[in-house]
Amino acid sequence: MSISIPELLVNDGFITPGDQEKIKKFSEKSGMSYVKIALNFGYISRKNYDRSLSNAGYHFAPIREEAFDPEVLKKVELKFANDHVALPLRIENNRVITLMTDPTNQLFLDFIRFTFDMEPEVIVAYDLDITWLSHKLLGQKYVKASVYELLRRDPKSSASITFTTPQLVFIFSLLAIIAIGMVLSFKNTSIIINVIISMFFLVAIIFKLFLALVGSRFELHQAVTKEEVHHIVDAELPPYTVLLPVYKEDKLIKKLIWNLQSLDYPREQLDVKLLIEEDDDKTLQAVQNLDFPAVFEVIVVPFHMPKTKPKACNYGLHFSRGKYLTIYDAEDIPDTDQLKKVIALFAKLPEHYICIQSALNYFNRNENFLTRMFTLEYSYWFDYMLPGLDTLDIPIPLGGTSNHFKMDALIELGAWDPFNVTEDADLGVRAYAKGYKVAIINSTTYEEANNDPINWIRQRSRWIKGYMQTYLVHMRNPVGLVKKIGWKGFMGFNFFIGATSATFLVYPLLLAIFICYLVFDFSTIRSLFPDWVLFMAIFNLMVGNILMIYVNMMAVFKRRYFELILFAIANPVYWLMHSAAAYMGLYQLITNPFYWEKTHHGLSKVNNPTNVVK
Amino acid sequence: MIISKSQFLFIVAVMLAAYYMVVGVYMNHWGYYNQESIFYIEKTKIIFEGLGNRIKVMGLTAPLLPFYCAIIFSSISTFLAPVIASALGTAALFYIITSAMNTRIKNDDFYVCMVAILFFFHPGMLYVATSGKAIYLVLIFFFLFFFNLLKFYRSNTTFHVSLASMSLVTLIFCDYKFIWICLFFIPLVLAITLQSLNLGEKESIFRLFLSFNSPSLRRKLVGKTFAIYIILFILPIASVISYKLLNLTHASDLDYFIESPYATWNVLVDKLNYDMSTAATNYQLPDLSILVSVRVIYFCPLILVAIYLFRESTYQALTILTPFAFVEFLHIKYDKLFLTYEYYLIFLILALLCLIFKAKTVKNQKLFKPIVFIVVLMQLYTGYIFLSKSFIHDEKSFITTLINRKPNTDQNEIMEVSAYINSLPKNSHVLMDDAIAYPIAAFTDDIKRLTLPYQNVFLSAIETPYHYDDYILVATPKNPFTGYTQLNNKYIPLIRVVNSGVNYKRVFETDCWILYKIIAIQ
Repeated sequence: MSISIPELLVNDGFITPGDQEKIKKFSEKSGMSYVKIALNFGYISRKNYDRSLSNAGYHFAPIREEAFDPEVLKKVELKFANDHVALPLRIENNRVITLMTDPTNQLFLDFIRFTFDMEPEVIVAYDLDITWLSHKLLGQKYVKASVYELLRRDPKSSASITFTTPQLVFIFSLLAIIAIGMVLSFKNTSIIINVIISMFFLVAIIFKLFLALVGSRFELHQAVTKEEVHHIVDAELPPYTVLLPVYKEDKLIKKLIWNLQSLDYPREQLDVKLLIEEDDDKTLQAVQNLDFPAVFEVIVVPFHMPKTKPKACNYGLHFSRGKYLTIYDAEDIPDTDQLKKVIALFAKLPEHYICIQSALNYFNRNENFLTRMFTLEYSYWFDYMLPGLDTLDIPIPLGGTSNHFKMDALIELGAWDPFNVTEDADLGVRAYAKGYKVAIINSTTYEEANNDPINWIRQRSRWIKGYMQTYLVHMRNPVGLVKKIGWKGFMGFNFFIGATSATFLVYPLLLAIFICYLVFDFSTIRSLFPDWVLFMAIFNLMVGNILMIYVNMMAVFKRRYFELILFAIANPVYWLMHSAAAYMGLYQLITNPFYWEKTHHGLSKVNNPTNVVK
Repeated sequence: MIISKSQFLFIVAVMLAAYYMVVGVYMNHWGYYNQESIFYIEKTKIIFEGLGNRIKVMGLTAPLLPFYCAIIFSSISTFLAPVIASALGTAALFYIITSAMNTRIKNDDFYVCMVAILFFFHPGMLYVATSGKAIYLVLIFFFLFFFNLLKFYRSNTTFHVSLASMSLVTLIFCDYKFIWICLFFIPLVLAITLQSLNLGEKESIFRLFLSFNSPSLRRKLVGKTFAIYIILFILPIASVISYKLLNLTHASDLDYFIESPYATWNVLVDKLNYDMSTAATNYQLPDLSILVSVRVIYFCPLILVAIYLFRESTYQALTILTPFAFVEFLHIKYDKLFLTYEYYLIFLILALLCLIFKAKTVKNQKLFKPIVFIVVLMQLYTGYIFLSKSFIHDEKSFITTLINRKPNTDQNEIMEVSAYINSLPKNSHVLMDDAIAYPIAAFTDDIKRLTLPYQNVFLSAIETPYHYDDYILVATPKNPFTGYTQLNNKYIPLIRVVNSGVNYKRVFETDCWILYKIIAIQ
């Protein structure tokens, strides 16, 4: 057993001598061990590694239940252990019991000898098991930082407190005024509420139409052209971190690798982190059982409440080495040239642009009614609304994935708020409040549209709850917000983030009144609608609905999804689903604000080809 | 201080608005009113001063947008509101056109000057700006519709086609007849889509052949054509359907807004124009079909220049020809009516639009500019001729008042009746039917004293007027609209039979109107 593992792998034909050299050079440059690179940068599959070592007489031991000594653990830094996929556990018989994936890693063995002044006793273990154990045992410091860092640095921006005292006073005062008004004069109070809601609806709809029009004006504008992408020199590209927070996504791991391998970016400059929760054995097992080489590094996020995606991302941030960073979901299919386009755009934009949002769309749009509606909605949102906000310089609520950050600015902002369930939207507004800007790029990431109504409502309830959280956080000090983002930004924030949840909450009420008006008793409702209020309400109903449907119809044009155009007519039904989700979100906001309503992915039966951009 | 070109144009537009306002007030001073503006005045009074169910008046008065624009200025003066609206609106149109021109034809003020000449001196534009009629809105949205459509041909963006669609909606709500223009865009959209397909073949007919014989291209062609139809026409269609449904629910008639004299001024005025022309000593048939296009060219020779400019762009040229088909169609559909001035003026606007897009592409500007200048001067003359020889009373009356500068006596009879009603004791109520008596209602000081059809009590008041009113205004048989109201010469004998205990005394009488005082004998 005198032969080293790298040599063994070459002898077994799993790694070519050419790759051997590349790995060694990369290892010297990055500080990561040979085996770490070989297993995480697409050189060898874990199964082949297992086969090779087993043939050589090594035995992989189950290690999760191994005893450990905190005093021993204190002497090792997690990042170092992570880079070498090795961990000293305890001292036994005057030897340091050490877990190693590569038992011939001389650097780590020397580290043990030097640190503990004893010889190591190596237990060979799977790299994922060592990663799991090392993060579990040593990751507490990082996970605590992930949860409390923003709260410590900028408590006013943290959603850890859902309702502040002044907000509660305001809400209950408003309710009290309405109740008193109802008692004193039911009719007049109802009319006033009616008028306010009607006006609010109309302004919100016209604002959205305006945004869509502004956005559509620049639909042919190419932020980055193909020529600019072709001019990028691969050797000059900086390290790029891709965070992939997953939870119980075992079915998607193979697809994920396929999509990542299609990215047009130098392999060694890609720092892909698959963030797996400590209790997510399914996904970890799926990675372990892969038949082909993985192109990502697994980071295990130790258990800590709240169990949210932003917390996982914050944790992953500690181990990231990119100059830029983006987040993808497991099922995402980004345009293959997306990262290069982002680099090109960042180079063109002024320094205070710290984030670039790509468009999101769906690959399974024709699967059923829900996916068609979802596609319409996303097309309208990412192709028209966000460019509209961008043009008008109004805070952009970032989409859940494919937002590309400058790493240093992201850290300066305090990263994601782990208590906010739409941390991306919150981060977009926070960036504006600090004087930074977000840009939109002409590149798309195709996701899997939710095709199951219950799953859809759960997902949407989280989004709407998050919008409510974000609204409450940034409206803690409205005057301060106006000062930071100006009146235009403030109004945009109110009508875009605030109004979105509010309209979904109010919509079924208004619809119910309208149906009662039509079906049951005209006279009672009539008394609450004097001529002019009725006129406004009818105008809203007609014009509002038509315009919103129309805006959705516009959305298909840019993408040329002409077959979806008539589905826009079904929007009023789709909005009812939004309303159900909004009420669920509101309930959770009060009872369980940090609960992450998990969306199940991988339900689609549609085959998803990679979106190669030539 | 140096001002930018757009600021300069804005200042000119403000001056133009002031000029229009002065002329408008001047015309008003000489007693010039037209049926349309009087109609808006009366409905505005009902909304702000009336008692009863006003929602129908608010929502179903047509055309809707001009009415609302007049309402906006009613706080300044109810009587001048339509004039103010049209003056400001026409000045706004000037600004829109010249701004577009300024953006596209840089460093050449000749064309802006031509537009200014037309807006300052063209009798038709003066008529648009100072009459208080809705033509100014029609012209604005007509311009925006075609402007965005032509831009869409170039940019192929949703933005321009959506704006075109919205302009079409507003155009229809300014003049419902423009709904028919959609008909002529149906084949045009197919041509546009065909053009936008990425094919090697350049000739349209071969492109069509290619597209129809390849399944994937056919699918693409059908999909895109359908999508453009939807994006262009869904808004107008949905708006019209919704509006018709509103009419159905609130007036029990889908076409209430175009057919009821309570909802629109057109019904009676069209009838009057037709009656007057057919009863004239020299019986005048409305123009022969083919002559309409010739008349358009005579009225606006600039349109020939415009078509010439687009001679190499097939579907742009077809787009410009669409309004010709539209007016010919109107002429056939409404065969008993003369085409009003508005439908000639749209060609003037269209010609200016073509200049905006194409004037700078003419290589020989030294020849082209004098031609344009001469044509513009010719149009000032034809504009005058078309007004002075118009068979439509409002148009002819306008130019006569403007040129002769003598008081217009058209509304004298109406003024007399309303002056008498104003002189009645304060608490006396008058029953009248504003289907035909809206001018009298408009000139009445206190509309609360009138019992009008928008009120729920009107039907009861017709049955038992003595319970609700002190006076009844009845149309005489000489009144050209007597057939449109229940309160005509047959009403008083009928109501006398119902209750012989009530007497009706004529207290005021003109050729067309009689005011009865209700006297209870018992």
